[in-house]
Amino acid sequence: MSWSRRLLNLFRSNRHSSDLDRELAFHLAERIDDLEAAGLSHEAAVIEARRRFGNYGGTKEHTRDADVVSWLDALADDLRFALRALRHSPGFALVAILSLALGIGANTAIFTLIDAVMLRSLPVSHPEELVQVTMGERGPVFTNPIWEQLRDHQTVFAGIFAYSAFNRFNLSPSGEVRAVAGSLVSGNYFAVLGVQPALGRLLSNSDDVRGCPPLAVLSDAFWRSEFGADPAAIGKTITLNSHAFRIVGVAQSGFTGLEVGQATSIFAPICADAVLSGPNNALDRRSSWWLTVVGRTAPDVSLERIRAGLASLAPGIFEATTPLSAGAEQQQRYRKTTFDVKPAPNGLSLIRRQYRPALLTLMVIVALVLLIACANVANLLLARAAVRRREIAIRVALGASRGRIVRQLLTESVLLSVVAALLGLVLAQWGSRLLVSFLSPSSDPIFLNLAFDRRVLGFSIAVAMLTGIGFGLAPAWRSARVQPNAALKANARGVVEGQRGLSLGKALVVVQVAVSLTLIIGAGLLLGSFKKLATLDPGFRPSDVLLVSMSHPPRPGSNVDMRSISEEVLRRVRALPEVAAASVSQITPLSNTSWNEDMVVDGFSAKSEMDGVAYFNAVSDDYFRTLGTPLLAGRDFNQGDRLGGAKVAIVNETMARHFYKTTDPVGRTFRVRVGDRMEGPFQIVGLVKDAKYQTLREETLATAFIPVAQDTTIGGGLNLDLNLELRATGGGAIALPSLKKILLDVDPSLSVKFTRFATQVEDSLRRERLLATLSGFFGALALLLATMGLYGVLSYNVARRRNEIGIRVALGAGRRQVTTMVLAEVSVMVCMGLVIGLGLALGMTRFIASFLFGLAPTDAATIGGSMALLAGVALFAAYLPARRASRVDPMEALRED
Amino acid sequence: MGKSKNDILQGTLSLLVLKTLASRGPMHGYAITSHIQQVSSEMLRVEEGSLYPALHRMEQDGWICAEWGVTEKNRQARLYSLTAAGRKQLASEVESWARLTEGVRRVLRYA
Repeated sequence: MSWSRRLLNLFRSNRHSSDLDRELAFHLAERIDDLEAAGLSHEAAVIEARRRFGNYGGTKEHTRDADVVSWLDALADDLRFALRALRHSPGFALVAILSLALGIGANTAIFTLIDAVMLRSLPVSHPEELVQVTMGERGPVFTNPIWEQLRDHQTVFAGIFAYSAFNRFNLSPSGEVRAVAGSLVSGNYFAVLGVQPALGRLLSNSDDVRGCPPLAVLSDAFWRSEFGADPAAIGKTITLNSHAFRIVGVAQSGFTGLEVGQATSIFAPICADAVLSGPNNALDRRSSWWLTVVGRTAPDVSLERIRAGLASLAPGIFEATTPLSAGAEQQQRYRKTTFDVKPAPNGLSLIRRQYRPALLTLMVIVALVLLIACANVANLLLARAAVRRREIAIRVALGASRGRIVRQLLTESVLLSVVAALLGLVLAQWGSRLLVSFLSPSSDPIFLNLAFDRRVLGFSIAVAMLTGIGFGLAPAWRSARVQPNAALKANARGVVEGQRGLSLGKALVVVQVAVSLTLIIGAGLLLGSFKKLATLDPGFRPSDVLLVSMSHPPRPGSNVDMRSISEEVLRRVRALPEVAAASVSQITPLSNTSWNEDMVVDGFSAKSEMDGVAYFNAVSDDYFRTLGTPLLAGRDFNQGDRLGGAKVAIVNETMARHFYKTTDPVGRTFRVRVGDRMEGPFQIVGLVKDAKYQTLREETLATAFIPVAQDTTIGGGLNLDLNLELRATGGGAIALPSLKKILLDVDPSLSVKFTRFATQVEDSLRRERLLATLSGFFGALALLLATMGLYGVLSYNVARRRNEIGIRVALGAGRRQVTTMVLAEVSVMVCMGLVIGLGLALGMTRFIASFLFGLAPTDAATIGGSMALLAGVALFAAYLPARRASRVDPMEALRED
Repeated sequence: MGKSKNDILQGTLSLLVLKTLASRGPMHGYAITSHIQQVSSEMLRVEEGSLYPALHRMEQDGWICAEWGVTEKNRQARLYSLTAAGRKQLASEVESWARLTEGVRRVLRYA
């Protein structure tokens, strides 16, 4: 009976069984009639009829047959048999299961991440109704004035809310920073999302008004870890950036905000920025971009209608919120801004934007690895099938149908893949966690929900079944085609084994070599790029440098003078014997912070807006010595560069080249345009070597440094964050406790955070490191698998041809000729694989072009090296079987069998 | 399937059913049983519990087809009839039966 019919029976079983009931009832009725006619009483006739029929229910079961029951029986038989067969060849089973488990595990691990980052819906009601509001080219981040206008005037959304995506709250009142992810949210945030309180209450619109008292809502996880799930936490206060916030409630468990990858622990109303940031707060600032806006669409309102509604609001809103400090031209551009919306049911995420291409690349890589693993197992199965020819021939001779044999062999391969998938799931759990820790910067861990959901389980089951059938089908089919006559006779001496039998195996090896080459070239390019990035001269020497970020809470009523604090800190740390050099600065390199200004330089006209921009930093004297950036000309800042004195600046080489077309800009001047106003002139007093500013990847940016002493924001109480850099003497370490003590002695309300400069540099490369490490690992794995495949096919081939080789040797073939014969066979396979792989690689590497640095996707050295490596390893794998072939003793070989 | 002492020799049931349907036209299961018993003068008795599984298997193999009909007693019954494939199957089973009995006969005679 065909499988399809059998499956149909399963679904039709109700109709089928009622048909059957009627038929059997008819039979009984007829029998009873006859028995009664023969003189039995009705009761006796019924009993007799039943008795003759045997077990009525049992009959039904049998009749429905072979249908389901015997099919399941046969499956159980197949499974038992498969288990026994695998137990008999543990080596084969181990290799097959391990290579598949690695393949399936890697696929599941990457898919788990993709699921967590891109596919999982937010744990809120009707996530599909959420859309993010953006401003076209101006991006998705809003100022508070725009948000308030939007909130008060929009009518197209069923609800709309705003939140700050990247807040870090410092939990400790002073001293070393203890940062948690927090978010300032609009009053209706929880209501529009449909998030319920687990305890207490959540925020409402009346909590988010100017002058509001500082309130906080905790995430369930934070409440558990920080307060031990104590209900008495409600009403207590918590210190956020040195300000007391009253806890009013705990959000429902599982809700950690909308930013995927970040576990928001504390929610406070937007109006609390007045408390957190004091007079410096962003509530009325028209050029502070910090809020993300999300709307919930009403069920019957299309995105088109929403866009139209927002478009009619835009002119009024942007007119009312124009930044007054901006230049006339900028203001005009600003007023033309428009709104747009995009669906956001999976939440919003910076890590999604950052890692999407990397994750998809990894998915392709692991899929290719799985393909190689499948080819490998298929090859093993082919060799095994050849060994089992007799067994199968006997079963065919005894009457087993071809379908039955295929099914038996497929059961074996699916069993292999299912066991491998189970092992793979374990590997994946562990692997996906490892991946996340890889992705996480040390200072700012990424939180992802990596629990397996139905999608992940479904994915790995599908992969397991597909691979099981994929690698098992061809060998099974070939085995089943065996002619029992020929196979049983073949045990008698065959002189020359036909080559046809292995053509499939050879094709698989070609595929393996081709795909491995693609992976190895990809890995080579990614590793090469990473090496270039990691060894490139960034323009500073990060080792032995400690970065300390210092921040001070705003002090109501009086200004905090960070400049005098920093001067005192510098005076004290420079006295420490283990400190070789120390400095302070507004920005540290590669910290994802930037400050740029429009330059006005005599004789220079900007070709575009960005062309006239230079990047800035305010630094103290000794900054360049501390970081290890050489001063090429002129002088460092010194005590003479005071506030109110002549404004000075030090510039880097790119700045000199770009704006002044010279290598010696010392003595030249520039001004800076701030809105419609000019600042300056600044006189250039020094030239420093180029150094990276935001990322290692960037083309060096034109950078100007001004003295901290002349930075009006630092002294005027506007800027309460400053960085301290310390270079330790001769590889020595700086003791953190004593350093902390010095800092708190200077000002007890300072919050400080320590980071090794080297760590900051490494963190900036984590995506590249991840890709390079994993592609290197998978490339090596691919190489190993392909080598195993090649070795397996050759060994098997040599073993099969022992007779033939024996005769050749007996007839006078030299050892050398035999070796050459085997190696020639390999060379053909490998060369074909290399050619196909080269084509494949050339087609695919351009997709990773954006990850490369200093290497073209067609880099000849990498491609040539990869091909040589693969060819070399392949020849090595071929050498052992070839040598074995050359040592065949003709006497022994011919006497066998 | 349970074995029983007066079970028809394994593999011959389908032969008997096919032959019955070939000679007598469409019949329901009960009539097939009765017919085999009568014609064989009660020497062969169809195990009723195994008849229907056999009928269904033969139906799914395409040897016979079935449809619902009404008997003279006005009862609903499933009527089986032979298909072209069934006719071919019958011919080959008759032939192999003949060969089997001939073989057995020879063994009994000469062995």
